[in-house]
Amino acid sequence: MTTTLDRPPVNTPGAGEREKKTARLRASRIALHTFLIAVCLVWLAPLLWTVFASLRTYEDTAANGYFSLPSELTLSNFGKAWETADLPNYFWNTLVITIPAVIVTLLFSSFVAFGVTRFSFRFNLALLMLFTAGNLLPQQVIITPLYRLFRLIPVPEWINYKETLLDTQLGLILIHIAFQIGFCTFVLSNYMKTIPNELTEAARVDGAGVLRQYWQVILPLCRPALGALATLEFTWIYNDFFWAIVLIQTGDKMPITSALSNLRGQFFTDYNLLAAGSLLVAIPCLVVFFALQRQFVGGLTLGSTKG
Amino acid sequence: MAEVSYVGASRVFAGSPPVRAVDQLDLDVADGEFLVLVGPSGSGKSTALRMLAGLEDVDEGTIQIGSKDVTNVPPKGRDIAMVFQSYALYPHMTVAENMGFALKLRGTPKTQIKEKVAEAAAMLDLTKYLDRKPKALSGGQRQRVAMGRAIVREPSVFLMDEPLSNLDAKLRVETRANIAALQQRLGTTTIYVTHDQVEAMTMGHRVAVLKDGILQQCDTPRALYDKPANAFVAGFIGSPAMNLKTVPLAPEGARLDGIVVPLERTALSAAQSAGLSSVTFGVRPESLRLASVEEEGIDMTVELVEELGADALVHGAVKIGDGSERFVVRVDGRTPPQLGQNVKIAVRDASEVHLFHPETGERLTD
Repeated sequence: MTTTLDRPPVNTPGAGEREKKTARLRASRIALHTFLIAVCLVWLAPLLWTVFASLRTYEDTAANGYFSLPSELTLSNFGKAWETADLPNYFWNTLVITIPAVIVTLLFSSFVAFGVTRFSFRFNLALLMLFTAGNLLPQQVIITPLYRLFRLIPVPEWINYKETLLDTQLGLILIHIAFQIGFCTFVLSNYMKTIPNELTEAARVDGAGVLRQYWQVILPLCRPALGALATLEFTWIYNDFFWAIVLIQTGDKMPITSALSNLRGQFFTDYNLLAAGSLLVAIPCLVVFFALQRQFVGGLTLGSTKG
Repeated sequence: MAEVSYVGASRVFAGSPPVRAVDQLDLDVADGEFLVLVGPSGSGKSTALRMLAGLEDVDEGTIQIGSKDVTNVPPKGRDIAMVFQSYALYPHMTVAENMGFALKLRGTPKTQIKEKVAEAAAMLDLTKYLDRKPKALSGGQRQRVAMGRAIVREPSVFLMDEPLSNLDAKLRVETRANIAALQQRLGTTTIYVTHDQVEAMTMGHRVAVLKDGILQQCDTPRALYDKPANAFVAGFIGSPAMNLKTVPLAPEGARLDGIVVPLERTALSAAQSAGLSSVTFGVRPESLRLASVEEEGIDMTVELVEELGADALVHGAVKIGDGSERFVVRVDGRTPPQLGQNVKIAVRDASEVHLFHPETGERLTD
């Protein structure tokens, strides 16, 4: 934006005209920055408000309301939330669900994407459409049949003493995989289409079988897409509340999102505590984002072809 | 090292009507030979190469490498190495990894891979760049890495698909000579695809000219130039192109602009026995000369003079029948005629005239 504004005038008009032009530029720049700052503030306001609330005590806000200057700031809410809500246990539950789900989703969807983009066979477009269309099913509609289905699917006793898929973390992992694979396949197949065909051909001539083409040539080049998807998927699965609340019944198998509701009393809710808990729960997503951010590099396929 | 043969090999792409990209190709390449496949775009030359590589199905006929029928063998079982037009280097691997990838897949011990890569890198002047990724290389260096990847494998056949077309003109001429020298040194059978007839003429031991999927002629560059099998080859090989015009026949020769250009007796009798009243008359620009005023010659109005230094190309209009046709004459560079000047041109020698059948394009002269 600013680069276009900084561009020197192409034809040199008279001095007065030039002044008028700079004035116009300055005005438009001020307008632009005002707009950007406003958007930033609107965007950040809820988050900042949560941080602010989490640093105040219940007594303080109860007496003065949330729209007031704090009498004191404290970190005690964080410690209290960590213990009251039994966060470590639920963090662990969430990791047990999220990490396998993300990895398996990416693995399977990259298989499908590789298959439909690198090989031409009769039904490859239809297959891709099927996977993508699966995305469009609203979860709320199929929850009842799924619930009943899960109750009927037997699992060994060591997974669940009730011997049904219902109320297992495995069931939750499977449902996340099933629901996220469509989107990931769609993104990955579009990304793989941009990788030149000659690369797989070169690999074939070099003696690489299909698995090697996938694992050693195509997959390393999909790193930016995989990184972006891993971040998105991690956030989505991590934040899931809907499937967890329906398909898991035992409290201590629940993921972290449900732990937040433990901070809510039946008759009374300490919103400062809840704010602190929410912030704690949000941290892993940020960690994942910053860890995977390095992978979002463009132009990875640069250099494979002509200069 | 191995000889290669195409036996009635065809590639038909589905469609209505189906496209015969390569049609009944019969071609034998000797062990150690450098064969160039040349033709305009869409002639099927790349498809023919890809069929040999195993990247394209063979719908009819067979392909043999050595004495082995490889028609249905996947690329990795064919012992070939290919250099792609776009180089197709693996962008996430270093130069050394790119070059050693095939050996690694074959399970060659690491020390041996390193040795062979170093050897090939030295040959191609790439030693300094072994640890770089392809994106940190220039176009010419990438091209050499692509060559190196092929050399390291010591295959029985090299396949090259327009490997020079992405280089600038100067580098192309240089690399052209390097590739030819390298092939000479390694003695590996090489099939090289290009659309550039200069590349074809300068590099190939033999050149195969394709058009619309059909092999037109396969011979040494000299023979292609001196005795093109048909009007297409005559027009395609040589720069500037041969002057090819349909002219009426007279009892003693071909009639151009009121005069009769004498033809060789054998050619003339071949044309007459075929019952032709006109022929496709072909004469290369250097087989024409400017005639002096007293001589009998063909009148030409100069429309364009291209000075190349050593010689000049004179383009001009000559009357044939009712119309006028453009001729190109190669003349001495120091005394070219002026633009718009009327000159007389003559054929240097009757034996330098090529006659072709006006409909089939087949050569009539022998």
